[in-house]
Amino acid sequence: MNDQRKAPEAEPTTHFGYKTVAESQKAEKVAEVFHSVAAKYDLMNDLLSGGMHRLWKRFAIELSGVRSGNRVLDIAGGTGDLARKFSQLVGPTGHVVLADINESMLKVGRDRLLDVGVSGNVEFVQADAEKLPFPDNHFDCVTIAFGLRNVTHKEAAIASMLRVLKPGGRLLVLEFSKPTNKLMSKAYDAYSFAFMPLMGKLITNDSESYRYLAESIRMHPDQETLKSMMVQAGFDRVTYHNMTSGIVALHRGIKP
Amino acid sequence: MLLNGLIAAVEHGLNRVLRLDSTALPRLAQLDGKVVEIDCLQPALKLFILPCEAGLMLAGHWEGGADCTLRAPAGSLLQLALSKDKTAILHSPQVDLSGDTAVLMDLVAVLQDLDLDWEYEVQRWIGPVGTSLLAGHLRSRAGWTRQGLASLTRNMADYLAEETRTLVGKHEGEAHFAELDRLKLDVERLEARIDRLLRSHNSSDNA
Repeated sequence: MNDQRKAPEAEPTTHFGYKTVAESQKAEKVAEVFHSVAAKYDLMNDLLSGGMHRLWKRFAIELSGVRSGNRVLDIAGGTGDLARKFSQLVGPTGHVVLADINESMLKVGRDRLLDVGVSGNVEFVQADAEKLPFPDNHFDCVTIAFGLRNVTHKEAAIASMLRVLKPGGRLLVLEFSKPTNKLMSKAYDAYSFAFMPLMGKLITNDSESYRYLAESIRMHPDQETLKSMMVQAGFDRVTYHNMTSGIVALHRGIKP
Repeated sequence: MLLNGLIAAVEHGLNRVLRLDSTALPRLAQLDGKVVEIDCLQPALKLFILPCEAGLMLAGHWEGGADCTLRAPAGSLLQLALSKDKTAILHSPQVDLSGDTAVLMDLVAVLQDLDLDWEYEVQRWIGPVGTSLLAGHLRSRAGWTRQGLASLTRNMADYLAEETRTLVGKHEGEAHFAELDRLKLDVERLEARIDRLLRSHNSSDNA
């Protein structure tokens, strides 16, 4: 007699840095990384990028075209660098939502913004980028800075961002990408796999989180792949700007 | 990126300076949401200024469009930044102003009226007593320098006019010019009289 019982279906897998893990585990593991680094996130960003992350974010703000009265969603907003600037730009008639899936990062961001007097037009929401809890056609601009590579289903997240944007609204994806210069690429590899975990160990006593950071950057889609993902999701006029020889790229798409 | 870094540093420094004036930030808050574009023609460079209650945000690129655009060569922009009478430069032919000019005029007025409370900033570092002593000393030195320069200018003018006779004194010059004017008038009168005499002489010959 044939055994009628079905073998349990293998759970789909995804990457967590260079490791392959079950999809259900990735969010949990990413959360662990950010719980671990949240307290010293800004300090580490400044140290590891030599302050360059501030200039990359400035450029993203310049390209956002955000004006007074706009509604802006900053996904994976972390410690609120972008949300703080957007809060100034939209003014009292506008609205900024700082969303992050990670509670620790959201707490750090909320405290930091309140400490510098940013309140009134900023709301803090713990939300998953793949299932954004906002109405359709709601925001004038959606940004995600250094967050997309940690999302398990990037296509679902991009589709969700498209849904919440108003027609004519802009999505800005600021993310590590592929260096355009071979020499720079080699130097960057050496820096990422040797220096970054070492600094992580010295400052946050956690080298693994920074090893994950370096690995996740390598596993993230390059400039052209991410562009085609945005086009496939339905974005129009998708362009990208390489910064610091392509170490970081800013993708922008308009909802038709 | 280099230019972006430079703009970020200028913005940081400028906002620190603006915070030293008690009225600048509330006045800038009234311009919140406005965008001023400065388009330097030679060398080609664009700068966007976004006033808000926290100060000024500067950007090398802005997608949202500008409320007011100021186009001028670098020399005129520098003059505009340094000059006390900015209105005269804004009306010069090299400067092209378009859009809502009131935004730019208001922004210029805020920068022109800056009265920096530098003692407050120094006080944070060296305390009130030290700041008071330093400020008193600096003020007396500045007063002495002003007086010294004014006295030097007067003495120099006297020396050149009276001692070396290199320059002509103001009063002496004025008297000389008045004499020249009188002489010119006398010559013109004489010329007119001669003309009249010649005309009367010619008419008697014909008769």
